[in-house]
Amino acid sequence: MDLNFLLSNALNGVVYGAFLLLTSLGLSLVFGLGRVVNFAHGALYALGGYAVIATMKWAGVGYWTALLVAPLIVVPIAIVIERATIYPIRSRSDIYTLLVTFGVSFVLIGAIEYVWGTGTTLLKTPAPFQGTVEVFGNQYPIYRLFAAGVSLLVSGGVFAFIQWTPIGLRIRAITDDPGMAEALGVHTKWLLTIVFGAAAGLAAFAGALGAPIFAVHPEMGMGILLDSFLAVILGGLGNLPGSAIGAMVVALTKSIGGGYIADWSVALLFGVVGITLIFRPTGVFGRGRVA
Amino acid sequence: MKAWRSVVLVVASLLASSVASTGALAQGSIKIGILTVQTGPARPIGDDIVAGIQTATQMFGPVLGRPVELVVEDSLFNPQNSVTKATKLVQQNQVAGILGTSTIETFALLPVADRLGVPIVTSNSGSAAITREKCSKWVFRTNAEDHMSIYSLQHLIAQTPRLQNAKWFTLGHDYPWSRLVAGSVKEVKGLAYVGETFAPLDTTDWAPFIARARSAGATAVIMPVTLGTPLLQFIQQANEFGLTKEAVLVSPIGLPDWLVAKLGAVSTSVVSAGSWAAWRYEESDSTTKAFNEAFYKQHGRVAGMQSLQSASAALMLYSAMNKAGSIDPAAVVKALETIEVQTPVGPLKFQPGGRQALVPLFMGPYEAVNPPRYGAQYAQRAEVFPATKSLPKSASDLGCKL
Repeated sequence: MDLNFLLSNALNGVVYGAFLLLTSLGLSLVFGLGRVVNFAHGALYALGGYAVIATMKWAGVGYWTALLVAPLIVVPIAIVIERATIYPIRSRSDIYTLLVTFGVSFVLIGAIEYVWGTGTTLLKTPAPFQGTVEVFGNQYPIYRLFAAGVSLLVSGGVFAFIQWTPIGLRIRAITDDPGMAEALGVHTKWLLTIVFGAAAGLAAFAGALGAPIFAVHPEMGMGILLDSFLAVILGGLGNLPGSAIGAMVVALTKSIGGGYIADWSVALLFGVVGITLIFRPTGVFGRGRVA
Repeated sequence: MKAWRSVVLVVASLLASSVASTGALAQGSIKIGILTVQTGPARPIGDDIVAGIQTATQMFGPVLGRPVELVVEDSLFNPQNSVTKATKLVQQNQVAGILGTSTIETFALLPVADRLGVPIVTSNSGSAAITREKCSKWVFRTNAEDHMSIYSLQHLIAQTPRLQNAKWFTLGHDYPWSRLVAGSVKEVKGLAYVGETFAPLDTTDWAPFIARARSAGATAVIMPVTLGTPLLQFIQQANEFGLTKEAVLVSPIGLPDWLVAKLGAVSTSVVSAGSWAAWRYEESDSTTKAFNEAFYKQHGRVAGMQSLQSASAALMLYSAMNKAGSIDPAAVVKALETIEVQTPVGPLKFQPGGRQALVPLFMGPYEAVNPPRYGAQYAQRAEVFPATKSLPKSASDLGCKL
């Protein structure tokens, strides 16, 4: 095993981490804002993949158009879900929303299976990003590099939005002190609805962007949901920079661990998270701050 | 008054005869249970299993002069649920036999087979133990078991110079079968074995494992990966990374045909070392051809690997019932032990004193089918590897004590 092998696996980790970043940010935002542990996030990610397929098939457009349309389809669905299932029980304890989103996840996967069936759909790598390019002495798929770049850009945009816009300021205020924010006139409930929709949009975009790599099937969101939760817990629930770093740590651990000690890579990942939580029970960056 | 009495009598006799005929029809059908997965990502496998049995049932016609009624239950690929559903099939539906099981369901049913008390003919269970040390009076298997596939793999390597001279690497899931396959490749004398890696079962991104194979300089990658979505993802990503240009992908037990259809031209980078069935066996077997045509007519698609297997199991069971002259479970089991039946996977009979069918394996590369047949554009070329070479020992020598 040479240095190129290590670097190739590190690159794989960064690419997967970029996808994880998109999904983890949404999870973290929704938790930070409303203390909602959103188990439906993985199903919304899958819905993004199916929205691409549906748009391509029914509207007859290409992948790139479908990629942009997919989040626009999923966001309103997520907003309806939030208003119908989470909004009415907002004042109850966290466990209620956890259970409700868990149920919503099953309903969404069931709906996907009802409409599209349980099979797996492969999407061709979209032009002009087919083929490979040599990186660290190995051939690497161009589309993966492109998709990772886009994911990082979108994630950067989310950070910038939170940091430098009035809505971002309100989100940070609610995350820091919901009571005080509400007293100062921030409409927390509507903001959570909007953020829930936006987080679903991020997940759907990740699902759509990853469709040509990971294939589309009803349960495609389960694996990334688990990894996203690990990232969010590792970084600190509700802490956006923490989630970003958590996503990269999870992805790099999986990738480098997978390369060297494949059959122990899952144990390694949970070991890293477990040891971190022993010393930092609220995650590396603590809980509840978005910036 | 007399007229009224006559009308009442006629109506009463009509009602009575109607009830009697309904009863006769209900008693007349023979119910057969199909226990397979009908939900989740593995559903295409279950669908192929059910479709194969449906076509075999239609082709076979009445059993003992009675129509066959199929009762399908979803196993969810879950052992506990499989036992529940099998019990329901036997006690509530009163099925005369159970078909369609894969390894998970078969393993779940083995400990309760005596209680169920009906013949179970599995067609999609790889684990050798099912017909070796864990063999049961009630459980028969018509597909090849894992160790049989190992012989065909070694034969394929021995007869293919490209594979003999290749640098071999095992890239599979982290479970016992992968290690068995890896071990069998390592056993081949003079072969360059450059490494192995076993990915967690929930792997969706195969990049680190593909990198490992490339780093080892592999030119032949054997892939004991779970059939279904994981195998589809792996082959797609291997192609994406260009691994298919550098190495031949070897499937230990072949690819389901629905998966071949999804892979399209990418499937031509795969060689099967021992498929459990192959529809192109029809080129040398008229029974397979007749089945393929009937299947296409009924389902509008090519008969996949699992369909051919499950159909063969169904034909074995129905033939045994006819031979036994009843659906009495003990009599059917006894008949199964001695029958020989022409099936879509070749002429089948069970190993004397055992429960494993002497079934051939099918080796060969996947290639374009010109012109397409049954809607299939790509399929495996089928070279037969007979059971005499893959199952050299007797049932008792293999550990089956009935």
